[in-house]
Amino acid sequence: MITKLVDKLLAPAPQKHPGVMGVFEFVDDAAAAVTALRQVGHKDLSVYSPVPHHDIEHALGQGPSLVRWVTFGGATLGLTGGFALCIYSVMSYPLVVGGKELISLPPFVVIGYESMILLGALANLVGMLALARLPQLKSKAPYDRRFSEDKIGIWVPCTGEDAARVEKMLRGQGAEEVKVHA
Amino acid sequence: MSDEITYEVDMNAEDVGATEHVPATVTQKSLTADCLRLISRPGWLWWTVFLFDLAILAVALVAERNQIVQGIGVAGHTRPVMWASYVTNFVFWVGIAHCGTLVSAILFLFRSHFRRAVYRVAEAMTVFGVMTAGLFPIIHLGRPWFAYWLFPYPHQRQLWPNFRSPLEWDVFAVSTYLTVSTIFFLVGIIPDAAAQRDHGSNRFYRLIGHIFSFGWTGANHQWKHFYGAYLYFAAFATPLVLSVHSVVSWDFAMAQVPGWHSTIFAPYFVAGAIFSGVALVINLLIPIRKAFKLEHIVTVDHIEKLSKLVLLTSTIVTYSYLVEIFSAWYGPNAHERDMFYWRFFGHFWWAGWTMVTCNSFIPILLWFKQVRRNLPLLFVLCLFVNVGMWFERFVIIVSSLARPFDPMPWGVNYKMSWTEAAILAGSFAWFFMFFLIFIRILPAFSLAEIKETLRAPMRRKA
Repeated sequence: MITKLVDKLLAPAPQKHPGVMGVFEFVDDAAAAVTALRQVGHKDLSVYSPVPHHDIEHALGQGPSLVRWVTFGGATLGLTGGFALCIYSVMSYPLVVGGKELISLPPFVVIGYESMILLGALANLVGMLALARLPQLKSKAPYDRRFSEDKIGIWVPCTGEDAARVEKMLRGQGAEEVKVHA
Repeated sequence: MSDEITYEVDMNAEDVGATEHVPATVTQKSLTADCLRLISRPGWLWWTVFLFDLAILAVALVAERNQIVQGIGVAGHTRPVMWASYVTNFVFWVGIAHCGTLVSAILFLFRSHFRRAVYRVAEAMTVFGVMTAGLFPIIHLGRPWFAYWLFPYPHQRQLWPNFRSPLEWDVFAVSTYLTVSTIFFLVGIIPDAAAQRDHGSNRFYRLIGHIFSFGWTGANHQWKHFYGAYLYFAAFATPLVLSVHSVVSWDFAMAQVPGWHSTIFAPYFVAGAIFSGVALVINLLIPIRKAFKLEHIVTVDHIEKLSKLVLLTSTIVTYSYLVEIFSAWYGPNAHERDMFYWRFFGHFWWAGWTMVTCNSFIPILLWFKQVRRNLPLLFVLCLFVNVGMWFERFVIIVSSLARPFDPMPWGVNYKMSWTEAAILAGSFAWFFMFFLIFIRILPAFSLAEIKETLRAPMRRKA
């Protein structure tokens, strides 16, 4: 029973989306294929690889991740929230200790600083997961387990005649295996 | 067009020359197989060590139960030494935890590629080290069920913790450190857990990989946001790691006790933390690489680089000792002068000299390359460093408290009780329990990052 459930969870998703998947061994081949595909109008590509490659990133024309803005928001909230908590707590129960100012900012810096890091890191995590569409139970493209080992996959969503043309292009660029999913 | 296959250095500048870290025989495929070999059914040796570990932990749990039932009096705390082994253990374990963030975050920002082979073990050590450290303030409470009082929470009577107290800073620093280092650790595991999901030896290990991979596929947009976020995790973890042990040092430095009230404490503690942490990483890596035949992944060069960090931090720690002694001698405070004389010639002289011998004298051997590359000798040397660093905290805490301004309790000296000794041993058992489980169920070496040090497969086109 549990075994079946685990197997179901681990099994690849039934393929619903049409497209072509090319499997590459060489990074320069894959990068050249991406450039060629983008030149003929296939901008909606996905490239799967065990490690990120700068050649492929350049070919894809990827900009920097937006996660930094989410992180900045979290860190700002943490910094202000940390100070606000300290200030609120001393104002809500005003008790002068050792003749010190109620709102004594220097010691509150530590709380503000740690809260900034805590909320910044949490926002960074949430931002990364949301932007990378994680967690995901099943992949949209026909994922191949070799992509986490040593192969690079290029998924081109397309149909019909377009698929045949893409298949030919991928083979021409050095793909060692091409599969068309109609 | 030539079909000749060459393994060219990637155009990526970061990878140029990076292959010095792994032998040419290592391929992406063999690396995956080698690293995932750890994730398999444990043998008799692992079970023996694990059961022995659990037995020690069981003794510690009995001791802790005894302390809860009978009260904190069963610990050897005697006025004025009310912070003793538990706070020593707390500082020791927080220190141990620091190395992981140093290796994973600071060396990441400095682009030190040798970190890639060792950082996962160091990060795991960080997480389990903080989990161990976090227990001690709670154990030291005597009534651990009131531990939630440490945290600020809305209260009918508007009672809040004292945010001006270094002890409250500690709550924020250590809990933030635990959270951030755990996130950093788990995020780093995501791509490797995906490899485990795809290539794990059985259904159970593949399922664990599936859970920890979050459904990772290695798609370009995932890598983009992953490394976008990873940089910021490193950027947050770096000032965090420096602040955490600084805050821990202020637990002492903010008080006016002789031997504590010093501005050098923050950098001194941070250097000491990295010193002991790197030594323990070496102690962990040497048996792991041997037991799992990973000498080609964690090379002697990697270990040597780590041992250079031990040497560097040893010199900083030694310098701090000298500055402390010099300041006491040169300064106007007679109590301070008396304290430093007493540390080395008083009741706890043996602890003071153990500290200096292990932390300053023995690491001098690391100036010799033959010692740095002799792994059995290095292993023993790093054990001495950890003993020395435990005693450093003991000397700072116990000797200062046992010699307060008021001379009346000077003759009353702390003696560790069996309860405390059992809980100290149990802390190691607790740490190693998590570590032993971790190396058998999740990738203990970063597949993705080590693969980045390999030359990217290129087909040179004419």
